[in-house]
Amino acid sequence: MSQRKEISISPTTRIEGHGKVTIVLDESGNVADAYFYATEIRGFDYFLRGMEAERLPFIISRICGVCSTAHVLASVKAIENIYATEITETARKLRELLLMGQIITNHSLVFFFLTLPDFYFSSEENPSKRNIFQIMKEKPEIGRKAVELRKFGAQLLDVIGKREVHIVSVIPGGLINPLKEREREELLKAAETAFAITREALALGKELFEKNWEGFRKAGDYKTHYMALTSDGSLKFYEGDVHVINSQGEIFSKFHSSDYMENVEEKTLKWTYAKFAYLKALGWPDGIVQTGPTARMNVNEEIETEIANKELKEFKTKFGNPAHATLLFDYARLIDLIYACERAKELLEDQSLTRTDTRVKTRPRAGKGVGIIEAPRGTLAHEYTLTKSGRLKSMKLIIPTQVNNAAINFNLKDAASEFIHAGEVEEGLLNRIEMVIRAYDPCIKCATRLADSRLKVEIIKNGKTEKIL
Amino acid sequence: MKLERETHMKVSILSLTCCAGCVSSLLNTGDALLEILSSDFEIVYSPTFIDLKEVPNVDLTIVEGGIRTKEDEELVKEARAKSKILVALGICATHGGITSLGDMFSVKKLLEKQYSFMDSSKLPEIAERMYPICNFVDVDYYIPGCPPMPFLIVHTLKSIVSGKLPIRHQSVVCTECHRKIVPAKLDRLYGIYEKEADPELCLVSQGFICLGSLTREGCGAPCPRANFTCFGCRGPADSLMYRSRDIYSFLVKVISVRTGVVEEKIRKELYRNPFIFHTFVFSKIERFKARERVI
Repeated sequence: MSQRKEISISPTTRIEGHGKVTIVLDESGNVADAYFYATEIRGFDYFLRGMEAERLPFIISRICGVCSTAHVLASVKAIENIYATEITETARKLRELLLMGQIITNHSLVFFFLTLPDFYFSSEENPSKRNIFQIMKEKPEIGRKAVELRKFGAQLLDVIGKREVHIVSVIPGGLINPLKEREREELLKAAETAFAITREALALGKELFEKNWEGFRKAGDYKTHYMALTSDGSLKFYEGDVHVINSQGEIFSKFHSSDYMENVEEKTLKWTYAKFAYLKALGWPDGIVQTGPTARMNVNEEIETEIANKELKEFKTKFGNPAHATLLFDYARLIDLIYACERAKELLEDQSLTRTDTRVKTRPRAGKGVGIIEAPRGTLAHEYTLTKSGRLKSMKLIIPTQVNNAAINFNLKDAASEFIHAGEVEEGLLNRIEMVIRAYDPCIKCATRLADSRLKVEIIKNGKTEKIL
Repeated sequence: MKLERETHMKVSILSLTCCAGCVSSLLNTGDALLEILSSDFEIVYSPTFIDLKEVPNVDLTIVEGGIRTKEDEELVKEARAKSKILVALGICATHGGITSLGDMFSVKKLLEKQYSFMDSSKLPEIAERMYPICNFVDVDYYIPGCPPMPFLIVHTLKSIVSGKLPIRHQSVVCTECHRKIVPAKLDRLYGIYEKEADPELCLVSQGFICLGSLTREGCGAPCPRANFTCFGCRGPADSLMYRSRDIYSFLVKVISVRTGVVEEKIRKELYRNPFIFHTFVFSKIERFKARERVI
């Protein structure tokens, strides 16, 4: 009689949204399969049908409160693509600045609040202590810096986007409100402080990373294709073409962002509400591709800003080009953060930012269009089909977490295999599994705007739940 | 409800079906958050930040998100039983929020296109509708908003700590809006981006469908200040929460008086755009004892 067993972890903690992990063991008690899945439903893709296109950007941001601005920007770009609207240079710069604000709010949250506790405390530490609040108690200055850095990102969103979460100022055709000179000066001052904090965060991150690197490398890697927006090998977030490289670092394909849906396909699997995206040209599962911070470092050869560029070169020398180790996501995220602060400062130094030509008139029409940006977690695509009367007929969103979904699952299987032998579960399994998932910073809210999830690990034997961790 | 305590209040933060925007807003409270954390609060349970998997007994539970699965329902009931005070944070928890628009379809319909073959034994059961949490548990304070402004959250939490009642916001957004209401003589209504809005005049009297006259104040009217219409993310004001109040007719009257457009035309326009009206409050709400408790 076969003796299959399943292990579950639920909820996975310190990630956005709720997830669940199930590990299936074979007859001899070794890992046969591992799944990371989502268990919540919201239904955005359906209930927004029929909505006027003009309302979409600020409503669709409700998919995710953590990266709401990224969704607004992808959404207006998709609509402008359909309307064939060219926005002004001023509007373009302000939007890029908003996106930098988004990267800063998100990455400061992920680094300080979600992943730092893993580096800061050893894995033997009592789990109830392994969190940012404990770090704040022991080292209040780290907490202060975390909050101040996030505040700068939120300030950018508030001043330019007019709300800190779910911005309202960005509309098809540009932005409603120009930036005032006084606001620019204040933001510039704040940008300098934020940049200083980011450099300290990088130093701290690097120190902790070096200390733990041996262990981190063991957490596994999964060599796949990598995808990111780029302008001929230079890091871009708001615009650019999509480049895909293979696991050796050679260019696999380059395409214009409006051809995204022709190049990336998605599929559903039985056991999760989150879909899987892959490269159409290679099919499933050969076309599995990763996106996000590490992918950005792998795809791009240079970064326009000084310090971030230096860090990128160092990253490539240290970890290889392309770099594969999963936990490098956390390191690469800090380089993103440096770039976001440097770029924000650069944009704010430009006095033409306060020009008042932020808005052009749009001419609604029917059609299909894609909007792509580089969101905190990777390449984000919104595709809408609009009717003649300017209403949403259907939409298709491919979210970074859907792209990384396959890699997360395979990585998970590797990590589980390391800790489970012949039915014996070694200590530390739970945290290692969660660290792997956390590295990808999956946003279950986004990937499952259709469904919500809460992470559980459950061990199942002969079809019955034996143990819940 | 002053709490006798010598140490920090123990606090749980619960995320149900939502976008996590309310907890993001809580983090945006910045220095105030640090102050509360150092002197008053000890957050002991929060899957977003802390590794603890079991809901502990606490003094205060903050709930973001509404109830869309059986799991949500069980979790909020457990948290209520283990908590002295429970705060519903954000419009999903207080009124069902944007996810309640899914109530227009059956669950079967929402799932059938993509997921009809779903292996449901591994996934929590989806509820027939999206519900606000008050349908299942008693709520001590409601803070509606999508998301609520950081200062509203701080004010409520500080009041709870000091045992005082938080200031209630009962009236409508118009009371916080700087715009002048000057009745106009227009012949039709306008879409939100159809023309540039005058920065000083009431948006409704310029022909835009702004929901400020229905929506609960307390946010400081950030959207009208940004030349953007209020879209009702704080839910209806106190005066509109009686069953006898027909919110729809009220809005038609307000728009007609301020624009000079005949009521019939406005009614048609609103009927054509159902999303304007119910975006955040489409849920079936029960046991809403909110008149005394909405912040």
